[in-house]
Amino acid sequence: MKLVAEIFMYAVFAAVVGALSVWPSYELVDENHAIVSLVFSHAGERIGECRKFSQEELNKLPPNMRKPADCPRERHPVRIELRSGDRVLYEETLPPSGIWADGKASIYQRMMVSSGAHELFVGMNDSGEQSGFDYEKSVTLDLAPGRNLVIRFDAQTQGFLIR
Amino acid sequence: MIARLHRLGRAFFGVLRRPMARAFDAAENPLNHLGAMTIFFLWIVLISGIWLLIFFRTSVSGAFESVEYLTREQWYLGGIMRSLHRYASDAAIITILLHIVKEFVFNRYRSNRWFTWVTGIPLVWMIFVLGITGYWLVWDELAQYVAITSAELMDSIPIFTDSMAGNFLSDDLLSNRFFTLMAFLHLIGLPIFLVFGIWLHVFRLNGPRINPARRLMAASLIAMLVLSALYPAISHEQAELAMTPQSLRLDWFYLHVYPLVQIWSPGWVWVFLVGISTVIVIAPWAPPQKKEQAALVTLDFCNGCERCVDDCPFGAVEMVPRTDGTNYTHQAGVDPDLCISCGICVGACPTATPFRSRGELLPGIDLPDRMASALREDIIAAGKQGESPHVIVFACRDDQQVQEIEKAGLSFVKVNCMGQLPPSYVDFTLSRGHADGVLLLGCLDGNCSYRYGAEWTEQRLARQRDPMLRRRVDMSRVAIGWQAPWSENSGVVQKYEAFLRSLQQ
Ligand code: HEM
Ligand code: SF4
Ligand code: SF4
Repeated sequence: MKLVAEIFMYAVFAAVVGALSVWPSYELVDENHAIVSLVFSHAGERIGECRKFSQEELNKLPPNMRKPADCPRERHPVRIELRSGDRVLYEETLPPSGIWADGKASIYQRMMVSSGAHELFVGMNDSGEQSGFDYEKSVTLDLAPGRNLVIRFDAQTQGFLIR
Repeated sequence: MIARLHRLGRAFFGVLRRPMARAFDAAENPLNHLGAMTIFFLWIVLISGIWLLIFFRTSVSGAFESVEYLTREQWYLGGIMRSLHRYASDAAIITILLHIVKEFVFNRYRSNRWFTWVTGIPLVWMIFVLGITGYWLVWDELAQYVAITSAELMDSIPIFTDSMAGNFLSDDLLSNRFFTLMAFLHLIGLPIFLVFGIWLHVFRLNGPRINPARRLMAASLIAMLVLSALYPAISHEQAELAMTPQSLRLDWFYLHVYPLVQIWSPGWVWVFLVGISTVIVIAPWAPPQKKEQAALVTLDFCNGCERCVDDCPFGAVEMVPRTDGTNYTHQAGVDPDLCISCGICVGACPTATPFRSRGELLPGIDLPDRMASALREDIIAAGKQGESPHVIVFACRDDQQVQEIEKAGLSFVKVNCMGQLPPSYVDFTLSRGHADGVLLLGCLDGNCSYRYGAEWTEQRLARQRDPMLRRRVDMSRVAIGWQAPWSENSGVVQKYEAFLRSLQQ
């Protein structure tokens, strides 16, 4: 009798172990949906032009601080917009990183969209202008269910990559 | 609030008790050996892991195929090993969880026991990271999810500037670099730290129980083998970064927080995890507790026999060179930062004898808050007042049964731990006619509040361990009523009455 009870307890234990190691399953993406990811970092333009010091000004500076020009390190924030047709999927103005606000702005955003045909538009503005985009790209594509579409900004070609 | 949590937890163990007691003897009851069971499961993980390692290829392209080979072509060995590796890791999570809860609800984490408690927490973190990196190495769809979500967690820590998660979103960015790092962590780095961590965890304990009973090990291994054979672990589809898997069979033992990364945010998941860990770390001091006085050595009576060193379950006594100029070479020395005032050393000390007629009763080692002399007075006070037969109950202060004895109005003497009672006190009680029988109450094997109190008592009474009970004591007058600490209404009064009847005959 004790043995039966013992075997039963081990069976319950093994069943709990076996069950919770795979069940219940976790639904990551809704049916007939795909994921669009915006992932990159980009440095906005500097806030102003460099200004040459006059000789007079230079003389006033301590010798170890002398340099030909005063360059503001601060950068513009980066504004990003992602649309599918007329629908805005994502719109954000990202501040530059770093305590001097001189670093890159980073974006990491994953969005669920319905699968099927999309007219995607992505635009980015990094020069502080209120409207318009400095870089933009449009594509029309058919997203399969479960597709993981990645949109990046390629620093070398200075353009968007969508794949 | 904490007392209520303790009560709640004890009630939980109380519910488990009945079916468990029906199936297991105390020595084989897994609930009495949770730390050791965890170590045993980790042994299975290690050994099966070595087999997997022989065939595993540590590259993004080779990993998936090598695991598939083990699972499918070599199912009879590699597949079983893989399943054992997974299921034993999962089982370890159950035993660790119960181990933490049990140490908590039975109050084995406060005062000078903080060290063992606090060193347990990094073990949990290491085991979770081991499990997570393990799922990463399979490089299937689940691994892809684990990689992306782990990277999102890492990215939310503001020390890394470049996004790590971006690496796992498309195949052209994926490098072997992370993969090699994970393989290193999982196969070498973390296992070494874990072994060291477990060593540290039990470092302060004298005689840590790291192996469960042989039958328990055999039966658990068989259970894991049967599960592996009936229900082998398999991979998801191979990872393909251009796609997102729709539905995953998560291992909830290891990956339970991962869905929270999406539901809340990576930052909140960190707050949650670090918050829980912090609460556990400060638990031994919340709220601060008045410390009982440590055991005290009186050199005049210490003969340097070392028994207290052997018996102290917390390694708080050490032999040190003699300081009082007598002929003995050594004397006992107590480290008050390790002593938790259980009194087991007093029970071990041959000079703790109540028969002494001259002078006050002061043994070589004694507890200032519960002195051997007071114990002797309590026995005399609880002794016979004419009625016959008379039984004195000795009870450990942590044992639930003592409350029932108290309620029933029976004669009893409380000790800090049953191991505090020197066998000579049993002899004294019976041979001086203070009682016709003694009933000793304490916690069942593996549950003693002070680890070895019950075991040492049994061995001393059975004349297997120093100091031994004298042969003249009639063992039919000594009864033992060990009980799991989580049983309410243990029937101890009936036990008492049955013992009384047996003495009448
Ligand atoms: C890998 C995980 C762990 C393993 C393998 C492990 C193993 C052990 C072992 C073998 C013992 C000795 C039992 C004895 O001889 O009395 C023990 C005791 C203990 N463990 Fe763990 N443990 C683990 C995790 C934890 C965790 C996470 C905690 C708490 C946060 C914890 C708290 C304790 C406490 C409080 C004791 C008892 C100390 C005492 O009686 O004073 N352990 N553990
Ligand atoms: S009272 Fe307990 S912990 Fe302290 S020295 Fe004695 S046996 Fe060790
Ligand atoms: S058991 Fe007693 S006599 Fe022996 S070393 Fe310890 S204190 Fe001294």
